[in-house]
Amino acid sequence: MTALGRQVWGLTIPAVAWAAHFIAIYALISAACAPRGLIDIPLMFGLGIVATVLFGIAALWPTIRPPKGAALTGAIRVGGLIFAVAILFDVLPLIFSSGCGG
Amino acid sequence: MTAVDEPQSYSGTRKGEPDKTIEEVWAQPTGLRWWSSVSHRVVGKRFIYTGFAFFIIAGFLALLVRTQLIVPGNTFLDNETYNQVFTMHGTLMMFLFAIPILEGFAVYLIPMMLGARDLIFPRLGQFGYYCYLFGGIIVLSSFLFDAAPDGGWFMYVPLTTNAFTPGVSADFWLIGITFAEIASVTAAVELIVAILCARAPGMSLTKMPIFAWYILITAFMIAIGFPPLIIGSILLEANRLLGLPFFDPTVGGDPLLWQHLFWLFGHPEVYIIFLPAAGMVATILPTFVGKPLFGYGFVVAAVISMGFISFGLWAHHMFTTGLPILSLSLFSAASTMVAVPTGVQIFAFIATLAQGRPRMTTPMLFVMGFLFIFVLGGLTGVMLASVPFNWQAHDSYFVVAHLHYVLIGGMVFPLFAAFYYWAPHITGRMMSERLGKWVFWLMFIGFNATFFLMHVTGLRGMPRRIATYPEGIGWDRLNLLSTLGSYILAAGVALFIFDFIRHLRHGERAGRDPWRAGTMEWLYPTVAIGFNFHAIPPVETREPLWNNPNMLGKNAEDVEGVMRKMHDGRRETIGCDPVSGSPVQIVRLPHPTFTPMFTAFALAVAFAATIASAYFVAIAGIVAGLLGFTIWAWEPSDSGVTRDAGMGYVLPVNMIEKRSHMHIATVGTMLVLYALLGSLIFALLYLWNVYPNFAAQTAQPNLLWTGLSMLAGLVLLILAMINRRVAVADKIGLATVMNLAVILASIACTACLALAIQRTDPWGTALGATMWATLGFVALNLFITLYWALFNAARKVTGRVGAGQSLPDFNLATYAKGTAVMVLITGGLFLAATLGGLS
Repeated sequence: MTALGRQVWGLTIPAVAWAAHFIAIYALISAACAPRGLIDIPLMFGLGIVATVLFGIAALWPTIRPPKGAALTGAIRVGGLIFAVAILFDVLPLIFSSGCGG
Repeated sequence: MTAVDEPQSYSGTRKGEPDKTIEEVWAQPTGLRWWSSVSHRVVGKRFIYTGFAFFIIAGFLALLVRTQLIVPGNTFLDNETYNQVFTMHGTLMMFLFAIPILEGFAVYLIPMMLGARDLIFPRLGQFGYYCYLFGGIIVLSSFLFDAAPDGGWFMYVPLTTNAFTPGVSADFWLIGITFAEIASVTAAVELIVAILCARAPGMSLTKMPIFAWYILITAFMIAIGFPPLIIGSILLEANRLLGLPFFDPTVGGDPLLWQHLFWLFGHPEVYIIFLPAAGMVATILPTFVGKPLFGYGFVVAAVISMGFISFGLWAHHMFTTGLPILSLSLFSAASTMVAVPTGVQIFAFIATLAQGRPRMTTPMLFVMGFLFIFVLGGLTGVMLASVPFNWQAHDSYFVVAHLHYVLIGGMVFPLFAAFYYWAPHITGRMMSERLGKWVFWLMFIGFNATFFLMHVTGLRGMPRRIATYPEGIGWDRLNLLSTLGSYILAAGVALFIFDFIRHLRHGERAGRDPWRAGTMEWLYPTVAIGFNFHAIPPVETREPLWNNPNMLGKNAEDVEGVMRKMHDGRRETIGCDPVSGSPVQIVRLPHPTFTPMFTAFALAVAFAATIASAYFVAIAGIVAGLLGFTIWAWEPSDSGVTRDAGMGYVLPVNMIEKRSHMHIATVGTMLVLYALLGSLIFALLYLWNVYPNFAAQTAQPNLLWTGLSMLAGLVLLILAMINRRVAVADKIGLATVMNLAVILASIACTACLALAIQRTDPWGTALGATMWATLGFVALNLFITLYWALFNAARKVTGRVGAGQSLPDFNLATYAKGTAVMVLITGGLFLAATLGGLS
């Protein structure tokens, strides 16, 4: 793969990590808070934290170690940061809520 | 220049028009054949003019709304008419004006900015335009039948079900808008492929004009964002026509499912509208500042972030529907977060302004108006992202004010900047600066007078969509002033129309690059030839006209580049590697044809006949449409030869590999199809999760047939992989056999899936209906796979395909693989329902 190709991946990976994390958190809340009650709150919380750590690292990785080549390095760093912060934002409700809240 | 340079003899490939010059080959048809034009310039302008016509109609409807509300207790419009008027205002503005007109600008500008002679699928562009036009006509014609939709532009159920909206008004909306959306989706796929596959030599992704980045991300958003609404509309129409109970809570359906599907589209839609307009700003601003855009990389990152995060906000339109607080908090957080990439862009624009002393032309005034208004709309958006505030302001005029600040500030003002900026390119004449400033100030003052006051009206408790109100509760004067403001805003638009008509005859001649811009659409003198480049110049910077003095230093037709020679008397452009921009192929382009128009017309007949319950006519329309597609594709292949493209490049024509524009289009189409499937799976899981009692009443799929369907899917997958290898190896006889095998596997998959859920009653529960809908969607894809394989086999049997021309089989393999995976996913869901039970 060319250096530019790797940089494009560096732009894409944090975005995909955020999307996967958002879907995971939404699915966990739905699994815990819908009438079916597939999982309980502690499990939702635990899985949410695991997903956040995994996808957070994936989102930040290109920011910490951007692929070689100067053309898109700034964009990769900014994009990775935005998505990492967005991942953090999305998990905050799980951390600060004690339950589904009605 | 002579047209033909030693054309080689090879089977199947068209020779084109060897006696014609390049200008003649690219000449636009005249007279009645003008309608057959496939040129991106013509199609783009048609989108823009038609979109503007819908804007005027929708704006007129808005004036009716404001006139009704000018005084309390007004009887100017009765309640029913008022509902129709505000519904059609929103519908026309959102579906038939905002997105199509922005896509029109993209269709018009992108090839010229990127160094392509035309868009990469010109016939698809023509087809999309006519789908849009006919879809729009269907929706508008509802007025003629006194059946204009009146359920709001969001068509919430149960209000729009047969029980509460009898007649055909909702059908006009659902069918007409779905048809028009085909145009948006086709344009999206075309723009994605055009941007990735048809750029000037050397124009890597990092050298693309920023507008292309904005359009690329927007096109991906359309490809993923429109399918939920398409699925929702089909489910609602099936509910109305067939009585399938997707949204009926008495059998496990849920009106909130419609809201989820609608807003899964509806919120990204706001950003789909905003991003191209912001791309216009990012293009116009540097021209008048005289400096490149500040923070190109930051803006690219912000646009990508916005494109993704905007898909995580949909439920903030549903804060008052009783969702769990935890869900509300998640969507509140995501809604707040989207302000960050928005802010990055706004600060980049402000920093660009700070780099120089901007020329305050009319386009710049509209850009400044955008910055002022959109920032205010963004700030009220952050307020509405807060759940407690949203509960208070929901469905009030505060929200009306917010959404108009975002949409008019974020889209209409940049659009008018674009009108003034690119009008010389389209008409060859300059619009009036003096009148333009009047237009701006009338629109700016009128807009703020209308909508700023609505914040106050909303905070004083006035709900949206009410036809009138009692006097003396603090809303009278505010509504009066808002209505007067709307008239001022309309006066600005009217003055713009006058100026546009005036400048066609009396405007000053524009000349070449009248604004001193740096992007390549200004390389040729305005109102140029019927195509874009005699030779496609290599591009090394983002502002080639600023950085390469040779470009404007000589006549445009003399600028050095590739593809100067036309080998076979055919329309063609250069195809590139999607990332690096290096030339990898010559792309042959079609000449003018009526086929896409007739295909779109046949489908329009089918859709309109469905509204009229003339189902035999509808079937005839579908068959005629299928015939149109078949004639469209039944043409000699262009692959199988190489040609000298100049500047040291000897390239294959329509190459057969993964980077081929047609293969990338196939992948793009699969993206849309998977978004459609994803919407159905969302519906399945939602209903299963929210209504476990009704899920338990749904008959489980048959284990044996479910297993066999997955086996058939696996066989189809393996056959598709072999089909790919056979296509690459160019074995025509074996490929025909493989086509037949794919046909048999497709039939087996459909039969097994249908037998797997034969005991499930689609009218019994909403979950059962959704299972059948999912099966129907996968079966449709299997039918397309089958038809495509049959088509390819027929072409080979009749000798239409020669050596080195296996591109259709190469692409079919990808489509069949995607369909096989759909079968496996659906079979997997049925298997889970069988083994785990639905209870």
